[in-house]
Amino acid sequence: MKNDPKPGICEELTFAAFFKSHAKLLRNYLFYKFGNEEQANDVSQEAFIKLWENCASVPPEKAKSFLYTVANNTTLNQIAHQKVVLEYSKNSTTPITDKQSPEFLMEEEQFKLKLQKAIDKLTEGQRSAFLLHRIDGKKYVEIAEILEISVKAVEKRIHGALLQLRKDIDTFR
Amino acid sequence: MDEDVTLAKWLNDEMDAAELSEFMSRPEYATYSKIKTVSAQLKAPDVNLDALYTAINNRKNKAQEPKVRKLNPWLPRIAAVLVLALGISFYLFTTAVITQTALAGKRDVFTLPDDSQVTLNAGSQAEYKEWNWSDNRKLELNGEAYFKVAKGKTFDVVTPLGTVTVVGTQFNVKVRNNRLDVTCFEGKVKVTTKNETLFLTPGKTVAFKEGKNLNLPNVTANRPGWLSYETYFANESLQNVIAEIERQYKVKITIDANVPDKLFTGTVPMNNMTTALNAIQPIYHLQSKKAGDKIILTSE
Repeated sequence: MKNDPKPGICEELTFAAFFKSHAKLLRNYLFYKFGNEEQANDVSQEAFIKLWENCASVPPEKAKSFLYTVANNTTLNQIAHQKVVLEYSKNSTTPITDKQSPEFLMEEEQFKLKLQKAIDKLTEGQRSAFLLHRIDGKKYVEIAEILEISVKAVEKRIHGALLQLRKDIDTFR
Repeated sequence: MDEDVTLAKWLNDEMDAAELSEFMSRPEYATYSKIKTVSAQLKAPDVNLDALYTAINNRKNKAQEPKVRKLNPWLPRIAAVLVLALGISFYLFTTAVITQTALAGKRDVFTLPDDSQVTLNAGSQAEYKEWNWSDNRKLELNGEAYFKVAKGKTFDVVTPLGTVTVVGTQFNVKVRNNRLDVTCFEGKVKVTTKNETLFLTPGKTVAFKEGKNLNLPNVTANRPGWLSYETYFANESLQNVIAEIERQYKVKITIDANVPDKLFTGTVPMNNMTTALNAIQPIYHLQSKKAGDKIILTSE
């Protein structure tokens, strides 16, 4: 045993710091998965609690993986899938084109709606991977860790998501 | 297994120039491009991290309190008392000793759990354990008893001077004053003393006085005389005969004379005091005198 052991997750401060770093992303991911904020919050809570309960046997470097393992394995009693309603951020005024004509703006709004609908129709796996990339800006490697799949599997899901999204959007003109 | 993941590569800006220009020439490219741009503007609903952490903290602290489920403290106590009571009862039950006593002037007849019959002569005591009797037929005898033992496992009569072992027989055991007499009337009897072990067949009798075998002659009777108040003595000292008379008649006899060491062999009736004394007096030249509730024997 070393003289000063690394502070484990059992230490209040370490746990708090860990929470700060990982809670938002975990919650977001769960939201993409379930489409329900309350559920996402509940499962996040569960995952952190479980981590705390097992803090003595989980070394700090394994904590993240432990957290997501618990989150992915937590089965919920209720729940039919709810519609994933995502909003656009305030600064989503990046114009697709320079033209600000009403038709274009209308088209832009329509497109946004179509995209939202299409995203909701994706499979849980595709949606989670896609949104983690688009919204949270996570690299495929990071997404692989979160979803507990391989990088290749992540790429497949992203690819599949894009294919499906385009099909959906172009079909319903 | 080379699945197509080009779109993923494109989304991640991993395509090289050639791939990219090819992709951009496709008609669907416009839509893909739009998807890429617009999807980046999406956001997840806000998370109240503080509230979430508080909720977690509350549950965390609750979990730290050791959950003590209070059990009814009386249950283990009652159980312990029951077990103890059961244990004690069982112990008492199995170790309980039955004592049969025949006082002076009386005799005691009793049966053992296997229907073996024991007749205790006056001034005798027998002790045995009832528990598990058929597997452990052991009886402690002090004094004299006639046994009619039922067939079964070995039957032991333990006396201070030796042990008599039988397997379903009729025999007599007398242990008084450093002398052990065993007579077999039926079956076979094994006698074990400190120095010797021997077997008796019907009619055979053995007496050990201070460890020495007296080599008595065989008996012809088929049961001991004392059962019918006709006590038979073989090579017995006067003192022992007197002692037996005392027990049978519940009386105190003192010998106030110099008596020869002559040994007595014969029958003494035990249902009539006068006749009893008359059986021994002549031989030892004694006369009896009553003094209160005592009898004093003096020389003629």
